Amino acid sequence: MIAVEQLTKVYGNRSALDHVSFEVPEREIFGFVGPNGAGKTTTLRILAALLEPTGGKAFIDGADVTKQRERVHMRIGYMPDFFGVYDQLTVGEYLDFYAACYRQSKRRRQKIVEDLLALVGMIDRKHQLVDTLSRGLKQRVCLARALVHDPAVLLLDEPASGLDPRARVEMREILKELQGMGKTIVISSHILPELTDLCTMIGIIDRGRMRATGPVREVIAGLATGRRLRINVIGEKDAAIEILTPLESIRHVESVNGAIEAEYVGDERAAADILFALTGAGIRVSSFTPVDGGLEDAFLKATSEEVG
Amino acid sequence: MNAVSNALWNPIVAKEYRTRMRTWRSPFAITVYILLLGGLGWAAFSLIVASTSQAFGAGSGSNYGQLLFTFLIIFQVALLGFITPALTAGAISGERERQTIDLLFVTPISPFSIIWGKLLASMSFVILLLVLSIPIFSLVFLFGGIELDQVVYAFAVTGATALTLGFIGIAFSTLFRRTLPATVAAYGAAFVLFVGFFAYGYVFPTEADPSVTIAPAPPAVTLISPVVPLLAIASNQPIQGYGIRYKDGSQGPYLNKGVPAQAGLCGPTVNGGVTCSSAVYQFSFATGTTLPSGLFAGWQYWQASILMQLLICAVALLVSALVLPPVRRFRPWRRDAPRPGRRMRSS
Repeated sequence: MIAVEQLTKVYGNRSALDHVSFEVPEREIFGFVGPNGAGKTTTLRILAALLEPTGGKAFIDGADVTKQRERVHMRIGYMPDFFGVYDQLTVGEYLDFYAACYRQSKRRRQKIVEDLLALVGMIDRKHQLVDTLSRGLKQRVCLARALVHDPAVLLLDEPASGLDPRARVEMREILKELQGMGKTIVISSHILPELTDLCTMIGIIDRGRMRATGPVREVIAGLATGRRLRINVIGEKDAAIEILTPLESIRHVESVNGAIEAEYVGDERAAADILFALTGAGIRVSSFTPVDGGLEDAFLKATSEEVG
Repeated sequence: MNAVSNALWNPIVAKEYRTRMRTWRSPFAITVYILLLGGLGWAAFSLIVASTSQAFGAGSGSNYGQLLFTFLIIFQVALLGFITPALTAGAISGERERQTIDLLFVTPISPFSIIWGKLLASMSFVILLLVLSIPIFSLVFLFGGIELDQVVYAFAVTGATALTLGFIGIAFSTLFRRTLPATVAAYGAAFVLFVGFFAYGYVFPTEADPSVTIAPAPPAVTLISPVVPLLAIASNQPIQGYGIRYKDGSQGPYLNKGVPAQAGLCGPTVNGGVTCSSAVYQFSFATGTTLPSGLFAGWQYWQASILMQLLICAVALLVSALVLPPVRRFRPWRRDAPRPGRRMRSS
């Protein structure tokens, strides 16, 4: 549904995107993760045909973003990271205006507005002036605005930024509902734990370069070269360290606050083998806990390395 | 037909009407406009009556009407010179500042339609002001001295000037990212349009041979200023002495080198002879509002003025349409993409 090939964007002599490539199949939720200034917004603006790339290509449902802008615009719903609303317009009029911009008929617009307000849970706010809404409600109205033409692809740039925890949960619920409706969604964020539950795929970008992309579990496994275990044993701590140290998957073992912390390479199978080695040697293990941070850990590792 | 109706009535026009007329600013602006125009009309009328009654105790009604019309039409165009840039200079830059422009760019609405929608909404307000001023202008007909066609031509020139200022305002609004510099530039352009082109006639007047019997037209560019055509329409004659310089430094043919407009009157005397009064010499500048020479020879002042203003509109529209799109088709300075593997300085 979305294909990005060797995308490059240069401002002056500064490279904002450096040959970024990724693909998002239909009906997937792609989490675009990276620190501020990594190139997330630049990529999304190019995908929304609002910015011309210096090099490379990008396609939305087969439409070239640089050559078929109108086709692209009809297929995407775009929500920028910062946006404003018009004053003196009610929520209903605001959505009706954008539906009219997408050349929807007047009769159809009435139904679209009602349906979208129901989707984002704002049917009772239809006659409220849009600029008097809270930030969270404005985000929801903006999301509804991105859906007025029923696009197949949603490009959401930091949709949860600035929201309180309750509003974030509500936004996540709406996005899950949209996934259920068959939308392909690209969602950028630097709030990582939110994306772990929501996304089916992930791309990690840092300083204009794509560091990892693919299904969430694969990306985490691929990046997690040094996952950590916290192990508590009854007595025999030194014996446990002696057993752990020569194991092939173990990188480093140390004693921290009375517990053993072991850094290892591999997936859950490797962790199970470590536990089996301890219990097989007669060590009484009272707790065995992975301490990696999931996506956040993978992200920090990916973005802390020197580019190039 | 569909393209035309889409261009004339796009959602932006309806949205602009809604948001513009819901604020207190629009009724306030309309009220102030009418009060100022009506107040000036009353003040001008009082002054005219006072000055003419002191001079001779009687002024003809037609002179009252003509003078009053002159004051009103010049004041009206000056008022629009203040109002129109304020209406349009923030049209596009305001969308940028409000961060709503990208939301418009991702819709199928073309940049041209955005410009046109903004312009149509602003110009509708100007037309509303012009229509509301008609009752004040109708007072002129109580005194006479002004024909209906003069009013129509004067309103056409005024409308063209407002349109030009509107197009220029939109052009600056697309060129500048912020509304403040766009507004300052639009007012600067309005000053040049009104005063600059008018002053051009004094600084670079048409050179004329003093032996000519009909005074030539002022330089064509001076007609871009609405002041010149409006004064010509109101008085139904060119502005005397404006925009013309005679090569010998004289004031022109009409002071002492005119041709006899009327031969001496002759009649029989009681003794059978004939006596004649001396011939009457009078001015021989062009009469009416037809341009006697120059680029627009044979045209009416108002026609030449409107044509030139429409040309400025076309240039401003072209600039706006080229500058506004987020991804421009015409960009000769476009950079080539670096080759894969080439090291760039990262942010």
